[in-house]
Amino acid sequence: MWHRERIPLLLAFVQSVLVVGWCFTEMEAGPGAAMSTQTNGDRFKIEGRAIVPGVKTQDWVSTARVLVDGEEHVGFLRTDGSFAVNDVPSGSYVVEVVTPTYRFEAVRVDITSKGKMRARLVNYIKTSEVIRQPYPLQIRSSGPHSYFMKRETWGWTDFLMNPMVMMMVLPLLIIVLLPKVVNTNDPEMRKEMEQSMNMLNPNPELPDVSELMTKLFSGSKGSSKAGSSSKGTRPAAKRRGKHSGASRAKKLSMQNNSADLDSWDQ
Amino acid sequence: MAKLILLWLKCIILYNAVDAVFEDQVGKFDWRQQYVGKVRFSHFDTHVQSSKKVLVATENNVFAALNTRTGELFWRHVDKSGPEGNIDALLHHGQDAILVVGNGRLLRSWDVNVGGLNWEIVLDSGSFQKACLVGQQGTVKHVAVLKKNIISLHYLSNGHQKWIENLPDSETVDYQTVYSGGNGEVYALGIVPHSHIVIIAYSTDDGEIIKQISVEAPWLSNIVASCAVIGQGVLICVDSATPSLYMYNLNPNMDDLQMTQIPLQSLGLEVAPDFQPVLVSHQPNSAHQPLSEFFLQLGPDNFLLLQFNNGQIVTLRDFKPALLVSFATTGEKTIAAVMSPKNKTASSINLFSAETGRRLLDTTLIFVMDPNGGKPEKIYIQPFLKKDDSVGYRAMVQTEDHTLTFIQQPGRVMWTREEALSDVVTMEMVDLPLTGTQAELEGEFGKKAAIQDGLMSMVFKRLSSQLILLQAWISHLWKLFYDARKPRSQVKNEVTIENLSRDEFNLQKMMVMVTASGKLFGIDSKTGSILWRHYLNDVPSNAAFKLMVQRTTAHFPHPPQCTLLIKDKDTGLTTLHVFNPIFGKKSHVTPPALPQPILQSLLLPLMDQDYAKVLLLVDDQYKVSAFPSTKNVLQQLQEMASSIFFYLVDSSQGRLSGYRLRTDLSTEQIWEVVIPMEIQRIVSVKGKRPNEHVHSQGRVMGDRSVLYKYLNPNLLAVVTESTDTHQERSFVGIILIDGVTGRIIHEAVQRKARGPVHIVHSENWVVYEYWSTKSRRNEFSVIELYEGMELYNSTVFSSLDRPHAPQVLQQSYIFPSAISTMEATLTEKGITSRHLLIGLPSGGILSLPKMFLDPRRPEIVSEQSREENLIPYAPELMIRTEWFINYNQSISRVQGIHTSPSGLESTCLVVAYGLDIYQTRVYPSKQFDVLKDDYDYMLISSVLLALFFATMISKRLAEVKLLNRAWR
Repeated sequence: MWHRERIPLLLAFVQSVLVVGWCFTEMEAGPGAAMSTQTNGDRFKIEGRAIVPGVKTQDWVSTARVLVDGEEHVGFLRTDGSFAVNDVPSGSYVVEVVTPTYRFEAVRVDITSKGKMRARLVNYIKTSEVIRQPYPLQIRSSGPHSYFMKRETWGWTDFLMNPMVMMMVLPLLIIVLLPKVVNTNDPEMRKEMEQSMNMLNPNPELPDVSELMTKLFSGSKGSSKAGSSSKGTRPAAKRRGKHSGASRAKKLSMQNNSADLDSWDQ
Repeated sequence: MAKLILLWLKCIILYNAVDAVFEDQVGKFDWRQQYVGKVRFSHFDTHVQSSKKVLVATENNVFAALNTRTGELFWRHVDKSGPEGNIDALLHHGQDAILVVGNGRLLRSWDVNVGGLNWEIVLDSGSFQKACLVGQQGTVKHVAVLKKNIISLHYLSNGHQKWIENLPDSETVDYQTVYSGGNGEVYALGIVPHSHIVIIAYSTDDGEIIKQISVEAPWLSNIVASCAVIGQGVLICVDSATPSLYMYNLNPNMDDLQMTQIPLQSLGLEVAPDFQPVLVSHQPNSAHQPLSEFFLQLGPDNFLLLQFNNGQIVTLRDFKPALLVSFATTGEKTIAAVMSPKNKTASSINLFSAETGRRLLDTTLIFVMDPNGGKPEKIYIQPFLKKDDSVGYRAMVQTEDHTLTFIQQPGRVMWTREEALSDVVTMEMVDLPLTGTQAELEGEFGKKAAIQDGLMSMVFKRLSSQLILLQAWISHLWKLFYDARKPRSQVKNEVTIENLSRDEFNLQKMMVMVTASGKLFGIDSKTGSILWRHYLNDVPSNAAFKLMVQRTTAHFPHPPQCTLLIKDKDTGLTTLHVFNPIFGKKSHVTPPALPQPILQSLLLPLMDQDYAKVLLLVDDQYKVSAFPSTKNVLQQLQEMASSIFFYLVDSSQGRLSGYRLRTDLSTEQIWEVVIPMEIQRIVSVKGKRPNEHVHSQGRVMGDRSVLYKYLNPNLLAVVTESTDTHQERSFVGIILIDGVTGRIIHEAVQRKARGPVHIVHSENWVVYEYWSTKSRRNEFSVIELYEGMELYNSTVFSSLDRPHAPQVLQQSYIFPSAISTMEATLTEKGITSRHLLIGLPSGGILSLPKMFLDPRRPEIVSEQSREENLIPYAPELMIRTEWFINYNQSISRVQGIHTSPSGLESTCLVVAYGLDIYQTRVYPSKQFDVLKDDYDYMLISSVLLALFFATMISKRLAEVKLLNRAWR
């Protein structure tokens, strides 16, 4: 080892001699090789270039760093976007370009003890899988980081597509349209409808919440309002009472109600 | 499979919404402060007259450019921490800054304007000595680097090596410095201590040795410490023993073998006893010769401006008393700045002409020293020429407590940077005190008052307090009204110590930060403004700190009290600093003197009559002392002694031992666990946080049964690493030990793994992260402990009476990044779900729901697991940038994350510290207890109004219809 210190020009030659002794044929021997060569002092350079399409390098390089295996080795970007991480012993490393604004994919770089390099996709699950990437590294940003959630903004479409609104609007349409389509005067039809209504009301003993509410509100309001209004609301409530049932069937019963009303009108 | 993916997606969507920051929340309740660390080298960027940059290279391996007008960062480059990123030298030329990094391993050139790298080259091995710029014919084109055994010259433009030469006799000669006077030669100066100086002149063009000479200097031991080059290449050294100045002309025709001696007495000067004199010279431009004027420091407060003139030394001016001196150049003028003490709290800086030593008029600048800060250490002067060709200047003063103060004439502080905050060691968040009125109200319901006073006085008291409230409310309204009339820019909502008070939800707290330099800070968590600072100047450099809150602000009128334990790591000797965390003032309570090294400290839940928690200190004789140690406390301790246990860790012996307190405050050992040192060593021991609450005792399973958690408050997680670091044989071990009984509850070993291990221990789980050497990736592992379907004793947990061993579940995951630190969120009552806050090297802080680290995550989805809301197992955990709580405000070198509960159950306050400080709030289960800040008041009120009108209209329509029908 001592003569290595002597003449720097000789250094490279001596290193290559040492490397032959340490040669690994298999690349996967990564960290082991790293450990054994650390004492040897063989250090290599990971080179590459980071590109953010459409953005001047000067605007982002001052906030960027190249991290090799966390913060094990750190490199900086030149003003043209290229980088070199010096002093890396042989092994297998995950190289990533880190900026707060742009996103870059990480790349795994393998360095043999001879100093041969290759780059491949990072796969933490199948660690030995090799999908080659170009070396020297060409890391292209896939756009800015998305840090923020979008606020839920309120729009008319959201309102209309709301299931609750749909549930209210659809029966309304049925109320208006159905009497015109179906002949309610037909006694058979009416019987059928009544039957289906009974099927929908499985528990006739349960008090209908909607009915309770209408009673409560019409009662209180009725007393304060003019007589005509109280007259108007009360029979409606009564008639509804006939079709009392679980609240789930509320809409259908309403529809039925109005059908009745219409038929009586005629 | 499709179902599985679907479910996975569903979970992702579910958790997508949980933690992200909305764009309009930026800066609303978070702030970041960026620091650089203690400045080692600093240069003002002078190549453009209007430049506002000052370049700083720091001891934290940071190179940055600061804005001289505001003190903010233009850019900052954070290198690897430790000796490999250490900045050895900073040279500045034009718009390039040359850095020598890692003991001369790398040479870098930075573009000062953009903050980008020009080039970086690897230098040959060898320990770095000195670098200098080399000029020729008025232009600087090269940089010379001197190492122990070689000297090399590099081009400034691209870093390429022009030549490299071995230094002759480098085994015996200690080459220490390199000098170039701009005349085509580079001098390497070496020394054989107490024998002679070796001077070698190299040609700049090809590295040829022009001349090599050795000069007798038996009195000299270090060139850097006692020599300087002045004038036309004259080496001048000072010797304290004789005491005299020695001179040697470095010109190429040098052939003297002796240095000329000028005794200081002949100049009428005297060296202060036991003081090593120091020479300060100045070379304004590397392409030209240095000045022939120089400073000689003869005593701690005595400087002399001397001039070398035709072989003679002339005293230009004597400065006594003077604290600091500095040279600076602008244009053609070189000035000398001298800082001299004025009175106890202020010093003044004056400019003197370097050539004559005359004082320049109107150049006095007053620097007011902070009584809670340190002494000035260095001054950097930025001179500039005014329109009338006189010299104006600004000064940057660096003090012992790592503070940078930038001052303008006549003494206006433009900015200060508290660089001590770049190295926060530990911190606490303390509740703010109640305001006077709030305290008044609280006092009304105090027990003492109620018993003493009668009914009438109580009524009177109530009325008066209500009146005070009304008054406060009216004054508040008045202030609002008053502020509303003023333009917005004038309204100042500055937080000062006087108007500090607790807010409605206790979201604003006082952050008490302890830094490695021994400076304490009190920072308002809402704005990040520093409310108080206190510099402890007797802190040893290798001290370990522990901060404890002995009394909170809840015990009005007793002031809150914090105790800082400062332990010298070498001797183990400990001192206590007791202070008020709100005002930063040292408490009048005198801490006990501790003559013995302290092994362990415990803060007991016991309180003395003044509501201060009792601090127990165990010394190396295993004797216990209490602070405060009043009679009341000792009595309480005697009663409680049988239930006070503590543990000691001796990692150098691999020994963990448990002790119990006796009534006479002596101790007895009750258990001991020895971990064989040959195989593994203890890395860390982690207990649970004492202020942590667990809301639910168990987890409801899919079949409606309950799986009870094993909630042992005395559980310790001990992490060990193998001493064998070979990748096949290394392992990481984790041992869960009951701290009271010493019983090993569980033991797990991760084979083919190595540290650093990051661990979080909370509730009934332990999460740790390690490096898997086999697969070369970071992995997380989670251990959860359960009692089973039945609880042994549901009312109280006792370590001594727990016959059944808990069920242990464990699962591991892949994490696609290295991590810097890890902490769990903490809330008031523990109802909110937990998140892990993970500091990443990239600067992000990831908020990872604990739900992803759940050993019950099933591999095959069943009806029950779906009922339980378990996410199906996936080996890889994801890092989503939406989960970064600090969005693009990246934090360099995160050292620690402090979490603290707020008054709101949903909200957890987070402070991340490292090189930067970042404070924010997180809502692990969304804001379920307050209306969200985007709550749409407009929508809800417009819908209500619309509904109201719709009922009115439809009612009217119905009436009309009924009326019509009645008429029919």
